[in-house]
Amino acid sequence: MNEARFVELLNAYGAELSRWPDDDRGDAEAFLEVAPHRIKDIWESERAFDHLLALEKNGPASISLETRVLAASSTWRNLRRPVNAFGKWRMPQWLTGGALAASLALGFAVGYAGEPAQNSDADYASMLTVSGAGAGAMFFSAMNDPER
Amino acid sequence: MRDPDEELVRRVGAGDKRAAAELVRRHLSRMVGLARRMLGDHAEAEDVAQEVFLRVWKHASAWQPGQAKFETWMHRVAMNLCLDRLRRRGRQGGEVSPETPDVRASATRALDDRQRRDRVRDALQALPERQRAALVLCYYQDRSNIEAAEILGVSVDALESLLSRARRTLKSVLSAERADLLSGLETG
Repeated sequence: MNEARFVELLNAYGAELSRWPDDDRGDAEAFLEVAPHRIKDIWESERAFDHLLALEKNGPASISLETRVLAASSTWRNLRRPVNAFGKWRMPQWLTGGALAASLALGFAVGYAGEPAQNSDADYASMLTVSGAGAGAMFFSAMNDPER
Repeated sequence: MRDPDEELVRRVGAGDKRAAAELVRRHLSRMVGLARRMLGDHAEAEDVAQEVFLRVWKHASAWQPGQAKFETWMHRVAMNLCLDRLRRRGRQGGEVSPETPDVRASATRALDDRQRRDRVRDALQALPERQRAALVLCYYQDRSNIEAAEILGVSVDALESLLSRARRTLKSVLSAERADLLSGLETG
């Protein structure tokens, strides 16, 4: 560490040696111990200026800001959960199971009651005739022809 | 060296409310302080600090330790948000910070601590933004020269140049009242 480098660092980082680069700090302390008065006076002057700059301190953050920031963290956690579109309509598990069983039973009952009776060939023929094709009736007549 | 926030950030990422509160307690006032010194406006500084933490909540679960320290990352986010706002102000007509009065006014008046602090604050606001950023990071946010250079995206030599110019400019701006300020400090 020479005088020029010491002054260069002093001009950049001020007199507080803890702020100086790690690699230079030890050398700077050793240099200052034996430095001429002229250098020590410069260092003292910079130290006084550091005190002036230090008046501009950090105050604590306001409670309202802290509250807002933490509320945002909760909101973010909620946003990250999978969305349940039916969240408002959530039911107890036993009720959900019961509803499922009831709807299955109803489905079977309706399906059984509504099952059409076996259609006879005549019914099919009449259906085809209704569609306007006399050929349908002729087809079934031919099918039923004992001589065929 | 182990990142002192690593475990806390992991817990925040896992949805731990207490860890979130601890992280806020540890860093919020520093973030506000950085933004206030950069922007010269307390309300805007709070907005920036809130935005920084929104990004923390968003990215905590994906945080990869071992790269930059978490606090360095927070400082970089905060500084970039401040620089963006300052540039927007510049584009909107070079508006000067609303809290920047003439620092040489009332130089002869006796100064109490609060007035001295206000003078220093105003002088900081009068610095060019890169000089102010370097000074804020090294002097007020206690970042090492390497961290500060990394946050600003410059070399350590360039950082030292910014710091020297900032300090010289501050001395010049405060020169009219420096003796008064310093004598007040010594006697007060």
